[in-house]
Amino acid sequence: MRPPPPRPNLTNVPLPLTLTEPQPQAGSRALEPVPVDLSNCDLEPIRVPGSIQPHGRMLVLDGGSLALVAWSENWPDAELPAALEAVRGLRLPAMPPGGSPVSLGAMSLAQNFFDVSAHRGGSHLIVEFEAASPPGGNEAPIYSLGRVFLPRLQDAATVDELCCLAAREMKRLTGFGRCLVYRFDAAGHGEVLAEAAEPGYDSYSGHHFPASDIPRQARELYLVNHFRLIADANYQPVRLRANDASLTAADIDLSQAQLRSVSPIHLEYMRNMGTLASMSVSIVIDGRLWGLISCHDHAPRFLDTATRLACEHLGQLLSLQIRSKESNGEVAERLELRKLTLQIVSHLSNSDGTLQHLTSEVSLMLRVMRATGAAVVLDDEVWCVGDVPARAHVQELAGWIAGLGVEVYESNALAAHFAPASQFVDVAAGVLAISISQVHRHLILWFRPEIVQTVRWAGDPQKPQSLVNGRMHPRLSFASWVEHIRGCSKPWSPAEVGAAAELRQALIGIVLRRAEELASVASELGRVNKELEAFSYTVSHDLRAPMRHIAGYVDLVGQTEGEQLSERGRRYLSHVKEAAAFAGQMVDALLDFSRMGRSALKRRQVDSASLVEGLVRELTRLEPQRKVEWQVDAGLPALYADPLLLQVAVRNLLANAVKYSRTRSLSRIAVRGIRSDLGDGLEVQDNGVGFQMKYVDKLFGVFQRLHQAEDFEGTGIGLANVKRIVERHGGTVWAKGEIDAGASFGFILPRQGPDNGEEHA
Amino acid sequence: MLKPILLVEDDKRDLELTLIALERSQLANEVVVLRDGAQALEYLHRQGEHADRAEGNPAVILLDLKLPKVTGLEVLQAVRANPALRSIPVVMLTSSQEESDVLRSYELGVNAYVVKPVAFDRFVSAIAELGVFWAVLNEPPPGSLKAARKHE
Repeated sequence: MRPPPPRPNLTNVPLPLTLTEPQPQAGSRALEPVPVDLSNCDLEPIRVPGSIQPHGRMLVLDGGSLALVAWSENWPDAELPAALEAVRGLRLPAMPPGGSPVSLGAMSLAQNFFDVSAHRGGSHLIVEFEAASPPGGNEAPIYSLGRVFLPRLQDAATVDELCCLAAREMKRLTGFGRCLVYRFDAAGHGEVLAEAAEPGYDSYSGHHFPASDIPRQARELYLVNHFRLIADANYQPVRLRANDASLTAADIDLSQAQLRSVSPIHLEYMRNMGTLASMSVSIVIDGRLWGLISCHDHAPRFLDTATRLACEHLGQLLSLQIRSKESNGEVAERLELRKLTLQIVSHLSNSDGTLQHLTSEVSLMLRVMRATGAAVVLDDEVWCVGDVPARAHVQELAGWIAGLGVEVYESNALAAHFAPASQFVDVAAGVLAISISQVHRHLILWFRPEIVQTVRWAGDPQKPQSLVNGRMHPRLSFASWVEHIRGCSKPWSPAEVGAAAELRQALIGIVLRRAEELASVASELGRVNKELEAFSYTVSHDLRAPMRHIAGYVDLVGQTEGEQLSERGRRYLSHVKEAAAFAGQMVDALLDFSRMGRSALKRRQVDSASLVEGLVRELTRLEPQRKVEWQVDAGLPALYADPLLLQVAVRNLLANAVKYSRTRSLSRIAVRGIRSDLGDGLEVQDNGVGFQMKYVDKLFGVFQRLHQAEDFEGTGIGLANVKRIVERHGGTVWAKGEIDAGASFGFILPRQGPDNGEEHA
Repeated sequence: MLKPILLVEDDKRDLELTLIALERSQLANEVVVLRDGAQALEYLHRQGEHADRAEGNPAVILLDLKLPKVTGLEVLQAVRANPALRSIPVVMLTSSQEESDVLRSYELGVNAYVVKPVAFDRFVSAIAELGVFWAVLNEPPPGSLKAARKHE
């Protein structure tokens, strides 16, 4: 199936149907065109040019009476009445107002054969006469579409593939040198999706151009009239004439006319571009101008009616296929996103449920929103994957988004709303964010880079070429498009935003479940702890009685039967007594420890200097034979603590220092005050036997001892008490030591503040 | 005649050790031993088994905290609630120094609260001190038999 062969003069455009000598008819005059302000295309009256292209003739009749209203200047006087008569003699088919032209068949007028079509525009019946195409029969182009093209179209997997097929088929059908399929985005910017071009034609593949390249009213016209042909950019428009002096060009709506003369600005542009013929078919989906099939040729090129119908048909087939592919595509996209969302959710469910684990699945995390970077913000902490702004910027952005109080935030031009984002458009021109908590700053953000960067990465689609003196030019268009989309990322699709909202719900579910689990673990822990304390109390309480009995009866045996016993027997008995006494001490210590954890804290400011002074006196009195050199700092800090518990803790530390330094001929014990950002405290240093730092963690455990009981007596609960007391005050303890080089123990308690007031156990 | 010391103790070993301790303190008072709180109340109210005992309150009640049937705290409560018994000194003996028990005992008006020491010698001295203080040295409330006898 070939289009009509080109004519020898390298153009297939019929000779203009003009008269060698214009023959002004009595009383008639040419319609004055509506004045045009060339500085603004959007205002150009393209629907009512008052003229037509010269490759056909036109009659404008009154819609009811079929009276002649206007006619194209290229009707010879002799033929006009015959044409009128022929039209009036036809049985006119139904033509809804505003509909496309309907073929009225072929007509012969003065040796010229015409294809005649008509449509209603306003109150007029507009009849167009074009040079007749040769009869096509079964070979008519439209048949090949159904036979060959449609099955291929149905096999195509993607929209891009559809567009490639359509570009090739359109080029074959029309014989134009280059055929493009392009798509408009939501803002009206165009992108070339497919191209079929002969050698010698510039490639616009991957090319973008701004919405402003196609004026608004042209865009609207593409929606109304799906086909437009400019057969020869060098044509001279043929004016319409009328007898009625009051009639103006504006009264005759040529929106649907095939022969409508186009904007002189556009013709100038075509000539500048070396494009003498152009044709376009609109791709309209759900009433929206989705894109265009656009063909160009360096030479003038005419399409006969049959080919034109085939082109329109191709456009409709393509529209339908794109529509179904897109809705399938959207379903598939939603399914894919749902799958990825579920993967994320299941990944998180298998972890401990904290959101930062999202970032351990790098590729999943980025793929789910087709992002190049992502971040999880949990209050002051940030976890990142991929390309992201600096952490401080992420935090600032997260704070701003959290402040908006929305569940899902998306923008593909972030800097327009959040000025600081202009510093990082290269990684985050667009952001999609979900807020997981109303209370905390818990957000997940996905980033996309500025689209200009992406396009530049893919390579500038436009080879450098000399600029022509035209208003619009592909190179200029590209630059202008770049300016339009500067600071913008690829937009977030509704499916992606929907998936983000779904993910948010799922994550909230997980986080809530984790929180509940944690709460139940915490309450269970509290219960177990209470039980343990009650248990340790009961055990030690109940153990105390048998200990007492053992000690008592052993004493009685010794007192009453001691003299009958052998020396060995008395020694055994003394071991039993000591063991019972020690067990009794341990039980008492355990009871004290248990009480330490249970009693309520009654905090106030405690003068630690007088506390230490009193304890030093007490310890000195207990072991008057010991030589201890006390070095107590002047001005020990006041501590905010329960005075009784603090005394227990400090007594333990001082008594330990005395005890573990008793192998020295002179014990040196220093008590220092500690003042830090975290609070105030004391440190006690001795010159005693010390300990190995690798056991430091054991020191503070209950009944943990680092020395033989023979060397140093004690139950091993003293430091556990210190730690328990300090930690109940919200403070910290530490120990430093070295074998045979002494040890130092210290603690810090928080100062009085709003967070550590009265507390009850 | 000296008023008896009322010892309420369910544990037979504690009972024996306490009796030895009292013996060693060489108090002249008779020691009446009861094994649970219910018996103690019957004795004090002269009911049941003790319905026909001689009139008069004991010099002191040594009361174990944990007792079968009626606990030491409940006995104490009953004693303090009864005008005829209210003035009897009550010493609570216990195995541990559980704060809530101590607090409750003092709220109910205990005269002393003694944690039985593990070491026997200390236990003996504690009991002896108690016995001497409450049975002998402590000035009984005016109007009691002992106060009357003082001026005989």
